[in-house]
Amino acid sequence: MEIDRVIHEPARLRIMMILAGVEQADFNFLLTTLNLTRGNLSRHVEKLESAGYLKVKKSFNGKIPNTSYQLTIKGSKSLARYWENLDALRNEPI
Amino acid sequence: MNMQQNQIPQDTEKLKEIPKWTRRYAQNRKLTLLVYLVIVSLISVVIIVPVSCLIMAFEKGNMILALVGIVSLIAVVIFVRFFRIRNIKIWKWMDQHIYGYEGTVSMPEPKLTKKKKLLELVAVILYGSLSLGTMYLGMANFIPAKYVQPVSALYSVPYLVFSWYFWRSPRMGPIVLLSPILYAIHAILIIAGVPIFFTGQFGVPANIFLPLIVYNHLTYLISHFYSRYALKKLKGIAHLEGDATNGD
Repeated sequence: MEIDRVIHEPARLRIMMILAGVEQADFNFLLTTLNLTRGNLSRHVEKLESAGYLKVKKSFNGKIPNTSYQLTIKGSKSLARYWENLDALRNEPI
Repeated sequence: MNMQQNQIPQDTEKLKEIPKWTRRYAQNRKLTLLVYLVIVSLISVVIIVPVSCLIMAFEKGNMILALVGIVSLIAVVIFVRFFRIRNIKIWKWMDQHIYGYEGTVSMPEPKLTKKKKLLELVAVILYGSLSLGTMYLGMANFIPAKYVQPVSALYSVPYLVFSWYFWRSPRMGPIVLLSPILYAIHAILIIAGVPIFFTGQFGVPANIFLPLIVYNHLTYLISHFYSRYALKKLKGIAHLEGDATNGD
């Protein structure tokens, strides 16, 4: 049983779980909720984006640039599969 | 225990709650809406004052009062027009100032088919007509002032419940249903003999709309406090500390 290494990392798992509950969340929200540094958060979302799990939306709030993230269908399916595999692994006899 | 089992996060059940608390936070962060509603309510009061002045002036034949009423009404109309034109900009500006520091998170818009949109229009027209009808019957004393609110509750409560279910959910959470519940309780208390109604010249519209406005504001205030609780719960689960905050 394979655990998705991209999702399994604690910060990325939390990013995916936050985005699973809503339509989209912006960089600031993820930053304050996860307590990550800007650089670390950027790296994690880049990794998730390159895996095709996230969609990035860039816009402007007046003159302030805003970056939002949305879970893709592939991301939702991978997250569901990740939990299935993890739960199966947890229930495996030792 | 194999290698993979060693790497299973200890707090998996808690982690599974992250979407729930994020959703609850997003559905209930209504402080911008509350501030907006207070502004709209104040505008409504500001509209009522010159209109009342005009009615009283024409009843008493006082031309100075009529002039004051007309000038105030024109000023209010200009202000409302400015407010409407810059509606979205004002909203965004307020939202940025209220929630900017903690970021933005949004719920999906309700899926509105053509049929649903048409149904919404019919419901709004029906609700408006029934409200006006109740007001007319109340002012003409066909409905005693005491029973104006319970009568309006007969259609307002189902309208508010359906409008949430069909057109506001999932953007707004079920806490919004507190407003029709309070409105229904208000009606039951009046029928039970509790004197929580208005009489006099503006008694009829006040009986219909004032409880609605008060309960809406109260609901959004409770919703706001719940969003703070949800955010606290979310941060409690999602906050990363130590090595986990590093990249790979």
